[in-house]
Amino acid sequence: MNRPVTSPVEPMSAKPPLEPAAAPFLTVTGAAKAFGGAQALADVSIALRPGEVHGLVGANGAGKSTLIRILAGLVEADRGIVRLDGEEITVVSPQQATALGMSFIHQELAFVPGMTVIENIMLGVPKKSRFGLVDWAAITREVEPIARRVGISAPLGSNVKGLSTAENWLINICRALVRKARLIVMDEPTASLSAAESEKLFAIVEDLARSGVAVLYVSHRLDEILRLCARVTVFRDGRTVADFERADLTHARLVEAIVGRAVERTPKSGEADTRGAVALKVRGLTRLPRVKGVSFDLRHGEVLGIGGLVGAGRSELARLVYGADAVDAGTMELDGVPYAPRRPADAVAAGFGLVPEERRADGLVLTKSVAFNLTLADLGRIVRSPALPLIDGGKRSKLAEKLVADLSIRTASIDTPVGRLSGGNQQKVVIGRWLSRAPKVLILDEPTRGVDIGARGEIHRLIRALAAKGVAVLVISSEPDEQPDLCDRVLVMVEGRIVAELEGPALTRNAIVEASYAHAARTEETHP
Amino acid sequence: MTATANRRLSPQAKAALGIFARYATIAGLVGMIVAFSVLSPRAFPTLNNFTNVLNQASLAMIIAAGLTLAVIVGELDLSIGFAASLHGILVTGLIVSSGLPIPVAVAVVLVAGALIGFVNGLIVTKAKVNSVIATLGVGTILTGLAFAYSAGVPIVAGVPEEFLQLSLGRWLFGIPNNIVVMAVVVGGLWTLVERTAIGQEIQAVGGNPSAARLAGIDTDRIKILGFVVSGVCAALTGILLASRLGSGTASAADSYLLTAFAAVFLGSATLRDGEFHVLGTLIGALIIAFGFNGLNIFGAPTFSQYVLQGAILIVAVGLSSLGRSIAES
Repeated sequence: MNRPVTSPVEPMSAKPPLEPAAAPFLTVTGAAKAFGGAQALADVSIALRPGEVHGLVGANGAGKSTLIRILAGLVEADRGIVRLDGEEITVVSPQQATALGMSFIHQELAFVPGMTVIENIMLGVPKKSRFGLVDWAAITREVEPIARRVGISAPLGSNVKGLSTAENWLINICRALVRKARLIVMDEPTASLSAAESEKLFAIVEDLARSGVAVLYVSHRLDEILRLCARVTVFRDGRTVADFERADLTHARLVEAIVGRAVERTPKSGEADTRGAVALKVRGLTRLPRVKGVSFDLRHGEVLGIGGLVGAGRSELARLVYGADAVDAGTMELDGVPYAPRRPADAVAAGFGLVPEERRADGLVLTKSVAFNLTLADLGRIVRSPALPLIDGGKRSKLAEKLVADLSIRTASIDTPVGRLSGGNQQKVVIGRWLSRAPKVLILDEPTRGVDIGARGEIHRLIRALAAKGVAVLVISSEPDEQPDLCDRVLVMVEGRIVAELEGPALTRNAIVEASYAHAARTEETHP
Repeated sequence: MTATANRRLSPQAKAALGIFARYATIAGLVGMIVAFSVLSPRAFPTLNNFTNVLNQASLAMIIAAGLTLAVIVGELDLSIGFAASLHGILVTGLIVSSGLPIPVAVAVVLVAGALIGFVNGLIVTKAKVNSVIATLGVGTILTGLAFAYSAGVPIVAGVPEEFLQLSLGRWLFGIPNNIVVMAVVVGGLWTLVERTAIGQEIQAVGGNPSAARLAGIDTDRIKILGFVVSGVCAALTGILLASRLGSGTASAADSYLLTAFAAVFLGSATLRDGEFHVLGTLIGALIIAFGFNGLNIFGAPTFSQYVLQGAILIVAVGLSSLGRSIAES
């Protein structure tokens, strides 16, 4: 059971599979799904076998979570076939997914704080009853061995308050077993576990597989994948690009499959370097647990990228700089003057603008018009006079029309509700909001997510044009191609820290992805 | 769940449902007026009766218009009815017992209303107490203060005739004062919300607080403003009610809470998809006023008014959320 930890470079081919693989019981063939204009899944296939730990890897946005959501009955695939025991199925609800024997364990664990361990295990599970009352004694007798098997050491009757994340994982696994799950999907299980806790979890995952349960193991941590998985499927840009058996697995091959052999573009050779004096100086910025002592300088006219994997702390960093969250420690200076925003309004007053990651949730008032959303951050410009702050309809239309034209926002009119625009045009509205203010620093979090190719090019040109005017731009992106195209310099973040700075010829898509993964592996090894 | 339900609706069905949700309240108001006119052609469709209905509905419209501001910024204010009761006692007490001139007493009470709203706003935004609980708590405290101030006895004796004229008078072209005040309040709040820069911020905070905050709007300030407006309008209703009744009575205005909520939710289902707005509230209040007037004319028993009011509230909230789910899908 305790296989030696494989070092990332040594292939596992030396070890033959323990037993001949069983036939797949759950297969997905040719699944596709688009959200708005964005193709989250183009064509993915995967086959899961009982008693196997099956790894699923891929860069941010490769389509892993979309596949999981389809299996869980949270979204409906546009195309593709799911077969369970040879029979074609469509999972339409999470309840149905559970009934079919699938359990899903996410990073945000489902458990109720005030209840006992056993009550949490039995959450949503039909319970034995006597005389109309839940028969906890009988249930405990039945669940006890399963709980011990997955390594729950706390008494089943004790309150879950104070249990660690690791123990919550065990509770969720136990619940899956009580429900007689045939497939357990684990999404980034070790993201918030210590090294010792991870070890325990690995042993349990292996034990689950031995007992015949299929585990779909989704992780960015390739050393775990190499160690645990009998088979690994790699997604890239919404497609299945590789299926490895254990014998063929190596760290290098996995990275290669994740990154792809895309033709490297020449990094931004055509662009003039527009960098000027330092605009924003950040020193030791910290907000635990996601941002740990981040320091960097951002210059006027510079487009600075923050790269890394989802969950590395990039959006949290942006929120700190923008005053949306409180800082634990660290200092900032804007144009040489101390800058300590207590709320976004302070940041905006100081000359910042933010284009948030979730434009529908955090960027737009969807039911309101394009004009409403475009003028929201600069209302002072569209009133009759500062003394009489009545909205001047003429000024408002003029400003909105100008921004619509400047950004080529495609909309029926400026009075159209912004929710009816396509993703790319919605994004242009959020960006456009800041242009009339002539910001000093503009922060864009995933500026082209869910945006079609054409709009993406336009947004990139717009960002470069802003930099040319002296705006300091910070771009967070999870799309591997985006930052080499767009940025003068990229800082790669891993687990709350900046681990690499890439610039000039060194700034390539592969370099960003490799820095994200290489350092993820190393931090895991040196974990206390 | 709603998303799943909507996904299965055809676009035509959705459009039809949307039109129904937007115009159901107006159709209901028109239908009610037509029905009452046909059924009671002599008593109902007269200028006198309509003025009367509007005059009586004005107090509810004022308090409901104020409440609209609180709900637009995404909060509920349950203290308004209790606050209005306290303000009625306070204004009569200040005039009768403390001998303050009427304009001064009115001004003091309006400031007190603003202060209560300010406190509500602080509790909700700074102490992060859910607005339902915060305003219910504040309202209950106000009821206690009202009893303490009046020692449980209505202030009746010595209320000057000039104070009664505040509500009963017709100072402007023979239009009842209540209606004039209501028109000024509704017109003013409509302008504030729909036509000013602050109004844009109010609508943004209500439409998407997270986006508003990240766009640089001080959302706490806007929410406090919503509560202050709600508090001032409650004070105005309390003053006019005391003037109309000629007394300050504890609990006199408590029932305005439910009427105001029914009006606000009916209003949100009017013309805009589940979005609260001042003009909608006005229409909602009219529906309720004409409904009660009709019941009175036909001599319906008192209990039926409660049944009607409860039913209207539920239907209104149902229509409102129907509109919203259509707008979001």
